Amino acid sequence: MSTVVETRAETVTAPPPARRRRRRGRQWGIKATLSVLVAVSLFPYLFMLSTSLKDNLQFADSYWAPVLPLHWENYATAWRQIQPYMVASIVVAAVSIVAIVLLSLLAGFVLARYRFPGRGFFFTAIAVLMMVPSISSLIPLFVMMRDFDLLNTYPVLIIPHVAGGVVLGTILMKTFIEGIPQELFDAARVDGAGAPRLFLSIALPLSMPVIGTVGLITINGVWNDFFWPLLTITENELRTVSVGLLFFQGQAGTDYGPMFAGYLLASLPLLLLFTFLSKYFLAGVQGGLPGSH
Amino acid sequence: MTGTAGAPLTPPPVREPRTEQRRGVPWFAYVALVPLLVVLVLFQYYPAVSGIARSFWDWNPGQVSTFVGLDNYATMLDDAIWWRSFRNLGYIFVFGVVAWVIPLVAAELLITLRGEREQFVFRTLLIVPMAFPGVVTALVWSFMYHPNNGVINRALSAVGLGGWAQNWVGDPSFALWSLLFVGFPFIAGLPFLIFYSTLRNVPREIFEAAALDGVGRIRRFWAVDLPLMARQVRLLFFLAVIGTLQYGFMAYIVTAGGPDDATMVPVLRMINVAFQGQDWGYAATLSTTLFLVTLLLSAVVMFARRSEPSTNVKGL
Repeated sequence: MSTVVETRAETVTAPPPARRRRRRGRQWGIKATLSVLVAVSLFPYLFMLSTSLKDNLQFADSYWAPVLPLHWENYATAWRQIQPYMVASIVVAAVSIVAIVLLSLLAGFVLARYRFPGRGFFFTAIAVLMMVPSISSLIPLFVMMRDFDLLNTYPVLIIPHVAGGVVLGTILMKTFIEGIPQELFDAARVDGAGAPRLFLSIALPLSMPVIGTVGLITINGVWNDFFWPLLTITENELRTVSVGLLFFQGQAGTDYGPMFAGYLLASLPLLLLFTFLSKYFLAGVQGGLPGSH
Repeated sequence: MTGTAGAPLTPPPVREPRTEQRRGVPWFAYVALVPLLVVLVLFQYYPAVSGIARSFWDWNPGQVSTFVGLDNYATMLDDAIWWRSFRNLGYIFVFGVVAWVIPLVAAELLITLRGEREQFVFRTLLIVPMAFPGVVTALVWSFMYHPNNGVINRALSAVGLGGWAQNWVGDPSFALWSLLFVGFPFIAGLPFLIFYSTLRNVPREIFEAAALDGVGRIRRFWAVDLPLMARQVRLLFFLAVIGTLQYGFMAYIVTAGGPDDATMVPVLRMINVAFQGQDWGYAATLSTTLFLVTLLLSAVVMFARRSEPSTNVKGL
């Protein structure tokens, strides 16, 4: 601020007319620059979209431009191969979300609304895990899962997402439930509600926004998790999307149309969430950071 | 920008549920916490601790393991590939931070737009790539670098520079650069979101005052925008350090750490040692080292973050 004040004395004399004019203009220069940036950012994805609708002949003849006829059957071809990966990812995400919400909402409720010996200790024990990166427990966790004979099962895919998700989940839920007015709980208690009733009738329904955020973070995590499913799963039906795509790419070989169609189909769930739940999606991107709470 | 100091603002008191205390210790609180704690102890604390413990062993899971003290750590000190992977990580980090210039410029341009609607449209289009799974971005970019059918070589031939075409990810002198340029122009990401939301939250009057005083664009950036963003930049810096330490899957998909370890990163080295070398004890050592470095830096982030509560992407 002080710098601005200092500059006043020197420059107050001549307001530059050029800038005035530009300020009144339509800002074409800025819009053009931003459009170029948008075009460069989106180019790989648009190229993928246009190529996903070509057959190999069209790809060879017209590399750059989209051409007719559009080969929608590429998507059918791709779907046949991608489908098991999508199913596996959806199952993993759904089960993980249910488990994370159950565990962390209960814990968040108790930590937010009750005082009991060891409360601070429990919360610290949970919060400190925010600083443990999942990649660092990859090796010991893998050996543990192998000893339990869990490789190539759904549990091996789900467990790390739950174990990782409950940490942030509990912190988010606790913070959220602390923000619910105490009067609501007091009123219910006066009416004779016990702790289970307070949880089910007040905390749970009011926590829907934060449950949504946790769900989005989890889906994003499942769709982006790579090394864990790569190392623990060798059966094709259990591969999640991220790893499945890698194998799909190997199979598709030089059939670029179906290959790109597959990539787009695999991206579709996240794209839909981004389109319709943009605010929560961005909150989720930020919420996954260490030290953000 | 800081809150005016008037009457001491006490945070709204978190009311103690006195009734509970009168009734005694709520035993169900412990019952409710048990499932969570079981999960955390079993799948978070135990693996972390056992990983550290096993780093002192010649670990043969399922067979006889022998205690070897600091031997694994001595091996690590002599592991040229491991140190090379950290050097690559250094390049990745420095390049990543320098590349913030582009999202920064984009954010500055964006807030200059007067139309709210136009800002929203451009902002959304610029961050669309964030909605694609990381693996898809990696695979699409591997295609861009494809020696025969890749977009880059085709574009070079199309403008008559076919001689410049390269095997981008297969040539040791280009592989790391190719990896660094994945995701160009790097706008879709957290730095852009943070720059943009910070600049947007700056009161309009400040920019107007600067404009009235005839402060030019560049001058305003150094004198007003950057000081206002200093804390966020510092935070992003630490986050980038931690994010870079986890860097791995992009290198795995695009270059697989090769050619000739030119793009090796610590995470890939650790995985190779464990799964190709079957040297679990040594892999645990590498994992523990990575963990301790990350923990140290995360702790720093926690403190940096605590002193800055206003970073808020949700304000977009």
